[in-house]
Amino acid sequence: MSVPSVAAGRERAQPAFERYINIMGPLAMIVVIGVVMAIFEPRFFRITNVRIILQDAAIYMVLGMAMTIVITGAGIDLSIGSISALSAIVMAIFIKDLNVGVYLALAMALVVGVACGLVNGLIITVLRVPDLITTLSTDLVFRGLALVMAAGAVLQRFPEPIPALGRGRVFGDTIPIPIIIGVVVLLVGVFIYRFTPLGRYAIAIGGNRESAMLSGINVRRNKVYHYMLMGAAAGLAGIMLTGRLNAVQATVAEGFALHTIAAVVVGGTVLFGGRGTMLGTLVGVVLLSMVTNALVILRLAFFWQLVAAGLIIVLSVAFYSYVERRGKGGSE
Amino acid sequence: MSAVAGQRAPLLEMLGISKHFGGLQALKNVDLALHAGELLAIVGDNGAGKSTLIKILTGVYPASEGVIKLEGQQVHIPDRRTSIQLGIDAVYQNLALVDYLTAPQNVYLGNEIKRKVFGIPVLDNGGMRSKAATLLRERLGISLGNIDQNAFNLSGGQRQAVAIGRALIQETVKILILDEPTAALGPEETRRMLEVVHRLKGKEMGLIMISHQLEDVFELSDRIMVLRNGMLAGVRTTAETSRQEILGLIVGATEADPRGPAARAGAGGAVGS
Repeated sequence: MSVPSVAAGRERAQPAFERYINIMGPLAMIVVIGVVMAIFEPRFFRITNVRIILQDAAIYMVLGMAMTIVITGAGIDLSIGSISALSAIVMAIFIKDLNVGVYLALAMALVVGVACGLVNGLIITVLRVPDLITTLSTDLVFRGLALVMAAGAVLQRFPEPIPALGRGRVFGDTIPIPIIIGVVVLLVGVFIYRFTPLGRYAIAIGGNRESAMLSGINVRRNKVYHYMLMGAAAGLAGIMLTGRLNAVQATVAEGFALHTIAAVVVGGTVLFGGRGTMLGTLVGVVLLSMVTNALVILRLAFFWQLVAAGLIIVLSVAFYSYVERRGKGGSE
Repeated sequence: MSAVAGQRAPLLEMLGISKHFGGLQALKNVDLALHAGELLAIVGDNGAGKSTLIKILTGVYPASEGVIKLEGQQVHIPDRRTSIQLGIDAVYQNLALVDYLTAPQNVYLGNEIKRKVFGIPVLDNGGMRSKAATLLRERLGISLGNIDQNAFNLSGGQRQAVAIGRALIQETVKILILDEPTAALGPEETRRMLEVVHRLKGKEMGLIMISHQLEDVFELSDRIMVLRNGMLAGVRTTAETSRQEILGLIVGATEADPRGPAARAGAGGAVGS
């Protein structure tokens, strides 16, 4: 790209290929794993198994959508597993112990999620505690509260629509409802990212915080919104999780934060903020759920799942670094 | 220019501005006047107080003492948003663009065009894209080639133009401050940037340019204001002064004794580092 010319021609639009080159790496891994599994284990592509994979991915898609925005805004949320657990436990107690109507209890789960997110956001922006430390600490607080409230009990057998939200199916018993929720959340995420100030400002805040401030953007308020959105998503994930087993205990959703962050990063969102992609997060959650499932089907121990997840994260990020360096060399 | 402008009340007046950071006196009793349609250059060595003066004007720092008048009315500028609302905007030296937003997204950052879809405000990306392209092309004479590429991929001059576009998109802008507009640019891009600044002149707007490049200052400015050690060293009409005199004011040589650092720096060179 040389000096701008006064008389230069019309502006070109960017080719779609360039925009999506980033997700080619993880997409290729999905194809490779698919082919390998098709050869070695025909059960992998049975419709029941594909449903299981996508149902699992749907919960991470709900979390990943909000996490993409949080990370783009140079934040991180390690407390989402505990927020999911606390939301689900509060909902369960409202139904089982307090005999509250199921829809009110569902709303309470979301309210608890948003409130937890608000707490995170306020600690980060008002008390100026770094995002990582804040959510590492509140992870303990929210988990502790859930454990206290549940007092070791497993709460189960919830009224509809809770089981339906976790494992119900529609369209002639074919499409699981969680998958529909996941797709809707993805579309909402794409909309937020491309068409709302919230998404645009997340990119600005993560990419150049000072510039965002000089542009008159209220950085702190936007950060609080990111964490509230994340809390709402964690509340929804808690509901879906409860519905899937039709039971909940305070220890659910352990490890969800790292799995979600991994999926978001594998999808091409930069961990230090400023750049992200919703479609990449979709690819990331599907890839990680596929791998987890493949290893279960191959009867490998859980520990190998950890090894595989770690390798995928490293390979994806290495791929992005490669694309980045090559892209830079090519355009200068 | 200055003769015409002199008959009207100044667009902007800063009177008796002082600023200290703890014990450090950054500015002491500085006056500034800017007329509509004028380009005022502010020069001075590093640490002379140029940036501090500008930051007070744009609401980044409050002044310790002094009064700011806009079109004769006293104004209070506690923050950045207020300065933008008053029509005072700055294009900063560090080219503060967001790397992974496109040029139009940067131009409209914090000031997006929205339309309502089912009552929800939605970013009008297409509208911003075409308006920003038109602004850059017609007002600033800059074409980016691919309008959808991220700012990360733009050249220094293109980034500078986008940063200026960002200030101009606010139609209320009355005073535009350019902080070292050519500092990061090569010779060819410097020439184009000077053309861009020249195009901005002669409208109703007042321009303030901070620069180390005396060559640029003499080419573009109507008046030159010199700061030294936080104090006003002098204001000269560009057409009636010389590089010698300005250099003397910058380094503090008296007019009776033009030898000293000024003479060694040479008339055409850059001042400071």
